Amino acid sequence: MQIGGWLLYAVVQIIGSIIAFGGTSSDGVFFLFFEALVCLLLTHVARVLLIPGNWLKIGVPQLIVRILSMSLLLGLILYFLRMPISFLLGIYDQEVALDPGGILVLSFFFAIIFFLWYVLYFTYHYFDQYNKSLKYEASMVQIELNNLKSQLNPHFIFNALNSIRALVDENPLKSKQAINQLSNILRNSLASDKKGLTKFEDELKIVKDYLGLEHIRFEERLKTEFDIDPDSQKFFVPPLMIQTLVENGIKHGISRLTAGGLIQVKTRVEDDRLKILIRNSGHLVNGERNAPSGLGLKNTIQRLKLIYGYDASFRIVNENDNFVLTEIIIPQKQKYESTNRG
Amino acid sequence: MRALIVDDERLARKELIKLLEEHPMIEVVGEAMNAEEAYQMVNELNPDLLFLDIQMPGKTGFQLLEMLDAVPLVVFTTAYDEFALKAFEVNALDYLLKPIQPERLAETIAKLSEKERAKIVAERGPEKKLGLHDQVFVKDGERCWFVSLNNVRLFESDGNYIKVYFDNNRPMIHKSLNALDEKLDERAFFRASRKHIVNLSWVEGIESWFNGGLMVRLRGGDKVEVSRRQAAKFKEMMSL
Repeated sequence: MQIGGWLLYAVVQIIGSIIAFGGTSSDGVFFLFFEALVCLLLTHVARVLLIPGNWLKIGVPQLIVRILSMSLLLGLILYFLRMPISFLLGIYDQEVALDPGGILVLSFFFAIIFFLWYVLYFTYHYFDQYNKSLKYEASMVQIELNNLKSQLNPHFIFNALNSIRALVDENPLKSKQAINQLSNILRNSLASDKKGLTKFEDELKIVKDYLGLEHIRFEERLKTEFDIDPDSQKFFVPPLMIQTLVENGIKHGISRLTAGGLIQVKTRVEDDRLKILIRNSGHLVNGERNAPSGLGLKNTIQRLKLIYGYDASFRIVNENDNFVLTEIIIPQKQKYESTNRG
Repeated sequence: MRALIVDDERLARKELIKLLEEHPMIEVVGEAMNAEEAYQMVNELNPDLLFLDIQMPGKTGFQLLEMLDAVPLVVFTTAYDEFALKAFEVNALDYLLKPIQPERLAETIAKLSEKERAKIVAERGPEKKLGLHDQVFVKDGERCWFVSLNNVRLFESDGNYIKVYFDNNRPMIHKSLNALDEKLDERAFFRASRKHIVNLSWVEGIESWFNGGLMVRLRGGDKVEVSRRQAAKFKEMMSL
């Protein structure tokens, strides 16, 4: 953009001189291009100086003073840099060149050009910044929206309702229990504040209710196993996070296997950190360890980062040919609780 | 109408069968729990109607339809699947949302019996070849169609695919022209060359062509060359 701008400047100058003097020599053209090149170098230096000088952060009055003085300085520098060039080209004239009036007028003219450059530069920067902040806001809204979306999976709810409907005739007692499980899940997903944390045991209950409902649907195709460390009860977890991951395992694992498979939820407490391990039958197709592609996984990673910064970890891998392992490690809640109530 | 229910959930199948008890004109002749099973049962039982779930372990409902040669009438069933719902709406397909509402089911069945009445009963020989009154399922990206073979004027092979010409569409199906040729009723369809099969009822004009071949003009303007080898056979058939 810089290069383009100064090229344009040179071309305008050339056209201007053609119009004003009815023509120009090749030396003149060369000279003007060279002048533009020098300008390019000067503004590049000026741009590099902006950053250590904190130009982008100081107040407006201070900035104006700086820009004005810098423009004058650059104008003078340019004036004197022009001299050796014109000397080389044989159009150097000592009297004209060192005339104090000439120096002042031309330097001032150059200073105006540089001033304009500064104005353009800062305007561009301002809009660029503005644009970036808009994009940032948009991505934050997107994250929240995704979170909302992942709360209620309509496919699961309607399938559960359909199974319950059939169950009413077949096993009325079980259908009543299923209605309780479903309403428990619905109530939790409606009430849960995505930013806060929930007790581990409450989350575990949701997971069990959820698996209970899926068991009605998949019947003998779904087997479940729990291996819970009693110390887990001390911990707080992001609401519906384990449930989302278990649901993920069903959706991408069990439901695609004709013979069905196993979901295992296991927790361990080590060094005051809670390790949650979720195993499901199946196979990750893309096998990418660090960049899971599903929306649910992306959301989980974003949520962990928003809540715990870099203190939590998440990974999902093919443990072997038959099982996918999802592993989350989260720290004790105390220090995160206060920061996440706002 | 003889119906086959395809759904991976036992309870979902059971519920649908229960709902269908209200509609004596629908006779459930079988239940399949995945696409592979359904494929076999369709070929054995030759049902008039499929109640078909989309999401199943292994192949999806759409993939099952693509595997089948002749496709019966189809009613899709799904709990909620954004992509499938979009496909149903875009392509005006019959579908039922689970849990199925009895009123919606009644409407759908009324529509089906109209279709069934409008359809001339296919006269299938014992060899079960595909005739003009059979329909095939064609899917091309987002779009899909149930096309009556009556409306297909031309099949053109293109690599591992076949282009199916009907109306203004020419979607591709993943099949070989030889395999298709064996299944089509030779009284209705003619293998014009290595690359083409034409629907004889669409032929409008015939001209002689180089090397003793023929050039066939179809209604709608498509032109197809008949190879020299096939030309004699073609003349014989058309003179009947």
